[in-house]
Amino acid sequence: MNVITSFQRQLNVLDYALASLYRRRMKNLGIFTVFSTVIFLFSSFQLMTRGLTETAAEILQDAPDITVQQMSAGRQTSLDLSVISGLQDLFGVTSIMPRIWGYYFDESNGANYTVIGLNLQEPQHDLLPPLASGRFPTGGNTGDVVLSESVRTSLNLGGRQSFSLFRPDLTLMSFVTSGIFDSATALVTADMMLISLADARSLFALAESQVTDLMVSVANPREIDTIAAKISEQIPGSRVITRNQIMKTYSVVFSWRSGFGGICLLSSLVAFVILAYDKASGLSKEDLKEVGILKILGWQTSDVMAIRFWESGVVSIFALIFGYSLAWLHIVWWHGVLFQPLLLGWSVLRPQIDVVPSFAVQDLLLIFSVSVLPYLCATVVPAWHSAMVRPDTVV
Amino acid sequence: MRPCYYLAIVLFLAVVGDGLLVLQLRQQRLVHDAEKLQIMKVVSSLGLSDLAISTEARYTRHPAVSDPVVPFMDHPGALEHFPSGSFFQPLR
Repeated sequence: MNVITSFQRQLNVLDYALASLYRRRMKNLGIFTVFSTVIFLFSSFQLMTRGLTETAAEILQDAPDITVQQMSAGRQTSLDLSVISGLQDLFGVTSIMPRIWGYYFDESNGANYTVIGLNLQEPQHDLLPPLASGRFPTGGNTGDVVLSESVRTSLNLGGRQSFSLFRPDLTLMSFVTSGIFDSATALVTADMMLISLADARSLFALAESQVTDLMVSVANPREIDTIAAKISEQIPGSRVITRNQIMKTYSVVFSWRSGFGGICLLSSLVAFVILAYDKASGLSKEDLKEVGILKILGWQTSDVMAIRFWESGVVSIFALIFGYSLAWLHIVWWHGVLFQPLLLGWSVLRPQIDVVPSFAVQDLLLIFSVSVLPYLCATVVPAWHSAMVRPDTVV
Repeated sequence: MRPCYYLAIVLFLAVVGDGLLVLQLRQQRLVHDAEKLQIMKVVSSLGLSDLAISTEARYTRHPAVSDPVVPFMDHPGALEHFPSGSFFQPLR
């Protein structure tokens, strides 16, 4: 019986608090809008970084065991193929695949393409992913290239299959589109041109014996670090990157410590300081008079504080629901459209950012802790001040 | 009608809306998971190391195989100036 009475009493207090919110609807709508926007921005960034980090962690678990590059004067340079014979002798190394990889800047439209030159032998073709159309380049056919649909659009090929790219000496090299990457793989192939190793060597004017990196496969994953250390010793000035390092990079690269993350945090902080200040200084004569009348009618200090609690609770909880739901819509269905100008920057090729983050309770708790809790805390002191008012001084 | 009934209706609509969102999300995840398998095959066969989400600068296109100093390597005293650089945390 006592519980029911208490519940009904709280319902009555809630009724009063809602009516009070409605009386000052413009002010409360303003607070709700600012509050929702801050939560939306904060949650969107959290979801986007979580989505990108999770996606990278999943798809990059098949990255090369070890990637070997050559450095000179702090910059990456080409690597001589003669080092392969030394590496093949290392116990535990199962295969070494030379690769040429670089960037081609298209001066006509300012796009940057990632060009990958690989020797794809016929038997390997069974292991390759299916293309949207066509086939992978083979060593025998000079000029075959597999493109992504966005590169094809950027090159303005229309119905044509062939196009030319400039070598460093400005002579033209012709290519024929032999295949198109499936659009489902755009997350890693959006700016990619895949050609044979010989074609890449010709396009970038590299010497016969040179490549940009080696992809080393190791039989036992536990030996990757040991073999990486041995490779590093064997090739002076080399940069040896293990799969763990690649995955580690993506586990930290998207976070609150980035410049934009800092801005999101700072703007949230400033918004809450303003809201708290508004609450702390928002005791108008009408507010005090209202409390005075309530106390004359027999309301206790705790009842007045309960009204203020319900008012703040309703505004903050609904702002959390609205802002957080909107953030999911923004990231999953609208592909983080507000972050795209920043994330894509001046990129001419603009791959769609397609991430579906997992729902994490800790994210929701974090957002609750940095939004709803500070707001409720910020309302306690002014609520107590207003509740302690003596009726005869304000009425 | 009591104001708290209005609140209950709004809360109910919010729960229904979020429920629909969760159902849609599940559908989206199934599509995404199927695509992910294809992407993993591309990554393993071509030996890729990075996501193609920002193509404007080398160090945001391939952060995993770039040095932390690359953003400042254009010339002596160069400053990092690409917009996407502000989304990526500097590597240590």
